[in-house]
Amino acid sequence: MAYSSKFKDHLAHPRNAGELPDANAIADEKNPVCGDRLRLSLIVKDNHIEAVRFLAYGCPPTLVCGSILTELIVGTTIEEAKSLTRADLVNAAGGLPSRKQHAAALAIETLHSALANLS
Amino acid sequence: MKRRVYLDHSATTPVDPRVANAMARAVVETFGNASSVHGFGQQARAAIDRARREVAALIGAKQNEIVFTSGGTEANNLAIRGLCEASSAHGRHIITSAIEHPSVSGVCAELEKRGFEVTRLPVYGNGIVRIDDVARALRPDTVLITIMLANNEIGTIQPISEIGSLVHKKRAAGQKLWLHTDAVQAAGRLPLNVDELGCDLLTMSAHKLYAPKGIGALYVRRGVRLHGQNVGGHQERERRAGTENVPGIIAFGEAAKLAREELAQRSQHDRALRNRFEALVRERISDVVMNGDRERRLGHLSNISFRFIEGEGLLINLDLEGVAVSTGSACSSGTLEPSPVIRALGVDDELARGSIRFSFGKDNSEADVEYAIEVLARSVERLRSLSPLSVSSV
Repeated sequence: MAYSSKFKDHLAHPRNAGELPDANAIADEKNPVCGDRLRLSLIVKDNHIEAVRFLAYGCPPTLVCGSILTELIVGTTIEEAKSLTRADLVNAAGGLPSRKQHAAALAIETLHSALANLS
Repeated sequence: MKRRVYLDHSATTPVDPRVANAMARAVVETFGNASSVHGFGQQARAAIDRARREVAALIGAKQNEIVFTSGGTEANNLAIRGLCEASSAHGRHIITSAIEHPSVSGVCAELEKRGFEVTRLPVYGNGIVRIDDVARALRPDTVLITIMLANNEIGTIQPISEIGSLVHKKRAAGQKLWLHTDAVQAAGRLPLNVDELGCDLLTMSAHKLYAPKGIGALYVRRGVRLHGQNVGGHQERERRAGTENVPGIIAFGEAAKLAREELAQRSQHDRALRNRFEALVRERISDVVMNGDRERRLGHLSNISFRFIEGEGLLINLDLEGVAVSTGSACSSGTLEPSPVIRALGVDDELARGSIRFSFGKDNSEADVEYAIEVLARSVERLRSLSPLSVSSV
């Protein structure tokens, strides 16, 4: 399948790229097989995700899932963020080829790690 | 309209309008079956013969040594499988390289399953097979050496004429041994002569030289026996059964004639653009590695690894701004598949994943190079700003 226009838009104009120096929830996860990496830094205050930034290395779906994830979780409660599924990300990306679904899995996994690391 | 710059001429070339015109006329006017005895058939036969002479002339071969096929893949199948099946009584050992096109490596792997032994020669950091390795790999039961003339991803030119000399010496000493070379990337880009190369079989594909897809050719030196892969007809001197693709063949003939006439001018033009492009990349973008030997390579092609980023993301970013390139790497089902060719150079995974092939053609201009560089520099910068590899390395 071809990538959606929304997918391409995120690839050309990534949202919330970078790192937050004041983050209190950080995670850096790697897909051990393909080597794709995602780093999330979050500022969580009063049970809400106030700010989020991402960095990513890997195939386009990994970059796009990182960008989309930041849009979906900013302003949500921790519980709302934790309830986000791979399917939510794939839908928000306008669909992903079946062989690229692992990009959404890496994004969700990194989010859960970051929230578990909340200090 | 968005500007579009095509820098993927090693994947395929745009059809030259002169070739398209010759083909369009042939579709309507030269419709006869070349096997028919009547005038319509003989008209098609004569047109095929003219095209065959042109294709032969491109590589210094004789007209009756050219077998038309559906493309490079079929020609490679016919050459390797056809030769091995016809000569298995003499031996069942094949020598090839680690950087062949899948249409060669795949056939070798298939023959391996059928009891042939295959030696795959390394290419070292410069992407070139060493003649000493070929000599060492030769065995009394080696029947075929199949090594490409120029590589499709990095453009490195292999020492085919030296290998040809080696084959001739062995043959003079009584060994039944033949040399095949896949010249799909080289034909029309390098001056080629089958006698100077000393090869017995040589593969060409028309769509790499400004003709349409669906037509290719195998050069078969006079006296070389092949077991036909397409049987059930007498066409192509019993080597390839099936009614000839007359318009395709005529297009190939026209494209071969133009390639021969314009070869010097085209290669000078492509090389100048490629060199300008590489100079600008070095000037504008840091942390790049240029893959393959700097000298012994095709003049129209540049293969570059960009550190900290991955090839497919860069490819799509370039495509969004109209610049078409290719990458040999693919990531699927969570499994990393870096380009086997780039890996064979001994580089690390990150560089292999970040490799991009830029291949120039006769219709590209200096303005295309300038535009591509602008887009490339911007895209690399954008992806690096996202990359945890480049951020953590600062």
